[in-house]
Amino acid sequence: MLAIENCHLSWPDFTADYSLHVKEGTFCAVIGPSGGGKTTLLHLIAGFETPQRGTLTFRGRDLLPLAPSERPVAIVFQDHNLFPHLSAAENVALGIRPSLRLSREERRRVSEIMDAVGLKDLESRRPGEMSGGQRQRVALARALVSSRPLVLLDEPFSSLDPQLRHTMIALVNKLRRRQNVTFIMSIHTPEDVRDMADQMVLVAQGKVLLSGSPAAVLQDPATQAASLTPKA
Amino acid sequence: MRLKPPHPGSLVALAILALVAGGFLALLQTGSEGSNLLAIGPYLLRVLAFSLIQAGISTILSLSFGVALALALTRRRFLGREPLLALLGTTMVMPTIVVVFAVLTVYGRSGWLAQLLIGFGIDAPLSIFGYPGILIAHVFLNAPFVAKIALDALGTVPAEQWRLASSLGFGPSQIFRHLDWPVLRAEISGLASLVFLLCFKSFAIVLALGGGPGRATLEVAIYEALKVDLDFARAASLSLVQIAICLTITLLLHGTLARPPVATTLRGAIPRPDAADRRLRALDFVVLSIGLLFIGPLVLSILTGFSHIGAITDLDLLQALVTSLGIAATAATLACCLALFLGAAARNRRIVLRSPRTAALFDLIPSLLLAMPPFALTAGLYLIVRPFADPSLAGLALLPLINGLASLPFVYRSVAPRLMLAEERYGRLSSALGLEGLAKLRIVDWPLLQRPLGSAFALAMALSFGDFGIIALFGGAELRTLPYLLYERLGAYRFEEASAIGLIIVLVAFFLARLSGRLSYARD
Repeated sequence: MLAIENCHLSWPDFTADYSLHVKEGTFCAVIGPSGGGKTTLLHLIAGFETPQRGTLTFRGRDLLPLAPSERPVAIVFQDHNLFPHLSAAENVALGIRPSLRLSREERRRVSEIMDAVGLKDLESRRPGEMSGGQRQRVALARALVSSRPLVLLDEPFSSLDPQLRHTMIALVNKLRRRQNVTFIMSIHTPEDVRDMADQMVLVAQGKVLLSGSPAAVLQDPATQAASLTPKA
Repeated sequence: MRLKPPHPGSLVALAILALVAGGFLALLQTGSEGSNLLAIGPYLLRVLAFSLIQAGISTILSLSFGVALALALTRRRFLGREPLLALLGTTMVMPTIVVVFAVLTVYGRSGWLAQLLIGFGIDAPLSIFGYPGILIAHVFLNAPFVAKIALDALGTVPAEQWRLASSLGFGPSQIFRHLDWPVLRAEISGLASLVFLLCFKSFAIVLALGGGPGRATLEVAIYEALKVDLDFARAASLSLVQIAICLTITLLLHGTLARPPVATTLRGAIPRPDAADRRLRALDFVVLSIGLLFIGPLVLSILTGFSHIGAITDLDLLQALVTSLGIAATAATLACCLALFLGAAARNRRIVLRSPRTAALFDLIPSLLLAMPPFALTAGLYLIVRPFADPSLAGLALLPLINGLASLPFVYRSVAPRLMLAEERYGRLSSALGLEGLAKLRIVDWPLLQRPLGSAFALAMALSFGDFGIIALFGGAELRTLPYLLYERLGAYRFEEASAIGLIIVLVAFFLARLSGRLSYARD
């Protein structure tokens, strides 16, 4: 279980207070208006932001004293996920060993995960030679190969067209079941994950306003008020 | 069918090419019966070898020191960092003759270092002339410039990649390999070419610190042929060699100068994960200390001028100041006008006529001017106007012209991308509204151009104001600029007056450079 209790963060122009519980192995979608605090929530879990007060635990272990690299967390951003001078396989391998000195077993793991995300033949390609969807698959592969039980996806497919976005979300769902990883994904288009997410969270004004099943959250007037679903 | 008149930018391009070609033809014609390349073979080889060796070593030292300084500065935050960064950004316009003064004051025979050594009981005679003085001056001039560009490049690494590095647990070596080095590598070849070109064409520093005819760059050799020996043929031959070498370097550099500006950085408030590493902390301390020990005394020597300003406020100074400002303003105006015409022609070819290849030719003209030896060009043009004007009058006309052409590459780099942007944004709209010529300039281009153009004008003025090049040919009692006055005072060993004049030049040039920097942040 990931447990966030009364985590308070403040800046001169923005204040956030989060409380949230996410069960292990679930696909949790974080929705909400732009500037509402979705990314800040993910950055808090990843260790890029430190709260002034509150607690953050995973499997009962306090994450707050840990540096980002020590946390059981992998992250995928919307852009700039890959290092352009490295091949796709090398970018994935960074998730295992930043020095890129891999053992035979580790190289096999990289190949396996590249296969799982559908990029078996593109291992030697550089990011500049790949499409947007392929690049995000590489980033996803890197997050998964690190074997960290919590994967954060910060609007990773926003720049893709609706068809490709749907395919990528389906891939995430498939991998989640296969690898038993907890996914927390912020997303702008809640309808895309309505049928796949186990839990949906509405974040606005720096607070978790709602948490529950996608159907319940999407039908709630608060979600309607946040202009996230088409009004009847 | 009615023929369309040529674009004014095409006429300007032709005029520049005609001016350059005319100057060299005049020089070649005048000296056709004199020495040729074969006749000056051994001399040429000696000059060439010295030019290449000193430029090569200067480039390696400037790049190594500049990049190390940039890495240390990007990792550390300390009191005085911001003023230091501002200083780095303005060294590009540091007048070379002032650098000569600073090097002599600190490292000269009776300079600060010699005094310090005597204080410790060491009475070793220091000789700054030759390679030591030239290398110190070139590194002082170029390493901060390299550091500034490298620092800007390091700042363009996206925030997401820093977060990734932090999340993946990158150590210092991985951070250098995957985050720092890729952006540095993209800059280094262009920077190396530019620094090499500037050192290869170095004039004032080599003239004053070379220590005699045995230590001459091609630029100094051309000057000596023109001013001392009046050997136009030798000047023409040397110029051709210089043009061939500089053209090669310039063509390599062209891609760098013509490259569009980097997008704004996405860097957030994430601290660099390697800032806490102990070994890097020690290394950065050493690099910053060396930087302070090297740059600090040279800057201080220039600041000593404050205590002598009262002693130099005479008519000579006032006249030289007015002349310098007048020449600099005219040169900057000329450079801005030429850049506008060439930039407008290039965008017309690129966007309206869809002919990127001919557009690239317009882009190439300003870069080509970097390869021109200013002395040879000036001498050629002087030979053309000599029947109609006396030397000081010719100097007054040629100084802004040559200085304007010399700053055109930098001005063009600011102006041309903005003209393109204006056309991309509003080109179709202005065509639909029938906006052309001056109306288009005023309504469509000007709002996007005014700040970059102001920035380019200030930079061109700063470059011209501190220039000690062509004035060495025409300078005298009737025509003095501030850098020339400083050179005269240095030659007469009047160091206190020289320090005050140097300070005034630096203050004006830095003010203009800061103004240029502030205006360069476009508000669109």
